[in-house]
Amino acid sequence: MITFSDASVTYPGGVKALQHVDLEIGDGQMIVIVGLSGAGKSTLVRAINGLVPLTGGEVTVDGRSVTKSSAKEMRAIRSDVGMIFQGFNLVNRTSVINNVLMGRLYETPTWRTLLGRYPAEDVNFAMECLERVEIVEKAWVRASNLSGGQQQRVGIARALAQRPTIILADEPVASLDPPTSHVVMRDLKRINRELGITVIVNLHFLDLARQYGDRLIGLRDGELVFDGTGDEADEEVFESIYGRSLTADDVLGEPAPGEVA
Amino acid sequence: MTTVEAPPRSRTARPPKPRPGPTRYVAAAVIAAITYWAASETTGIGLVPQLSEVFVDGLSERTGQIVSDIFNPAFEDAPATGGPFLETLSMAVLGTLMGCFLALLVAFGSSLVTAGGLKRYRFTKGLMSLLRSVPDVLWALLFVAAIGTGALSGVLALVLFNIGVVAKLLSETIDAVDTKALEAADAAGAGLVQRARVAVFPQVLPNYLSFSLYAFELNVRASAILGIVGAGGIGVLLNLARNQFRYDRVSLIVVEIFVFVFLTELVSIALRRRLVR
Repeated sequence: MITFSDASVTYPGGVKALQHVDLEIGDGQMIVIVGLSGAGKSTLVRAINGLVPLTGGEVTVDGRSVTKSSAKEMRAIRSDVGMIFQGFNLVNRTSVINNVLMGRLYETPTWRTLLGRYPAEDVNFAMECLERVEIVEKAWVRASNLSGGQQQRVGIARALAQRPTIILADEPVASLDPPTSHVVMRDLKRINRELGITVIVNLHFLDLARQYGDRLIGLRDGELVFDGTGDEADEEVFESIYGRSLTADDVLGEPAPGEVA
Repeated sequence: MTTVEAPPRSRTARPPKPRPGPTRYVAAAVIAAITYWAASETTGIGLVPQLSEVFVDGLSERTGQIVSDIFNPAFEDAPATGGPFLETLSMAVLGTLMGCFLALLVAFGSSLVTAGGLKRYRFTKGLMSLLRSVPDVLWALLFVAAIGTGALSGVLALVLFNIGVVAKLLSETIDAVDTKALEAADAAGAGLVQRARVAVFPQVLPNYLSFSLYAFELNVRASAILGIVGAGGIGVLLNLARNQFRYDRVSLIVVEIFVFVFLTELVSIALRRRLVR
């Protein structure tokens, strides 16, 4: 379980990215956070694994305070929280499997990392993670040689390699074309359903948000303005979250190919 | 047929090209004066009197002999230079290997991206500047004084010199590295050394190898000279020949060093071009 209590983030320069947010996220939920760019979505997600430190209030993950943790405790929390990025954030100059093995770093002794000698069971598990996102055939290919959609699936496999209880996804489809976006969102939904991992996704397309989210959280100017199910989030709700009437740019527009989980 | 319309006449007149102020002439005069002063007798170098001496009096007989020796290298003595040359080469190889390995560690400490704390960054950066501010020949002199003449002093001098150069170049490459992968490593709970090894090292590896090859070039050049202060290699022979006024041998060694350095650079440039692609 993740809790935000009176959580605020003010960046140097005075931008209030998060203002007095109170929020509880139970285990195994598929959460979509919606809002315009600049509404604080990225900050909210990064506050969970401490990549962005709070300037007020507290965040806890499974009872452990992220806000008050030491560097060592922070690493332990982060090892339980996988993360997927808008820009994939792979190491381009190395192989796909090495990228996935980054997910095992917390459990790997430093000397092994230095020599690049990962335990056989870790390599095996990394392969399984690649199989889950159906890209295992690219294991020994350089990450930079993959397409955007393939790179994002490697990103998902890397997060899975952590054996996380929570996966954070910061705009995971913003750099992808519509069909690929659906593939990635379906992967995330399947991970949530089959592995029971809590998945928290930032999105700005309302149709994707409604389609894949069990629960939608709306942010506007750093404040929590909506918390409810996808069915409850009609156009009126979205207009209030976005603070303006909806346009064609707010929807991905392409229906999911085939059946959706 | 197309007619080209004249561009609309602008309302304001075109400005005339600004006339240069007197600053540049003053600057040129000042630079000329400083140059003359630096070369004149008053500074102790006395280039101007010496030049006039050479042109008015011509070369002395002894100077003429030296020049003639220099243009007739003692090629017949070339086989004898083989051993010292090999020593020079091995000094360069050892100095490069050890220096570049240590430079790798220093470089990670002297970039804010990987240092893991301002204090460590400042300490390592300071150490690096210190190493770099001492020229290689001076290092060699220090080691010769401390542990005696021979190749070991030369190698140690090269190691320290290399740490300074390669760590400087590499730490600046690390500064400019793509931090997205680092964010991913942090999010996975990686430690300081791990994130450097996994997210930074692969990105800077081609540059690192390229810098190391460059360091090898510098070392080949430097190790030829280090012998003059007694730190082993071909320089010892060079110094000996000079002391015996055997300028034909000096000339031979200079020619050999030239060819040697030139070949090393050719190979190094070709390899580096392949690396950074």
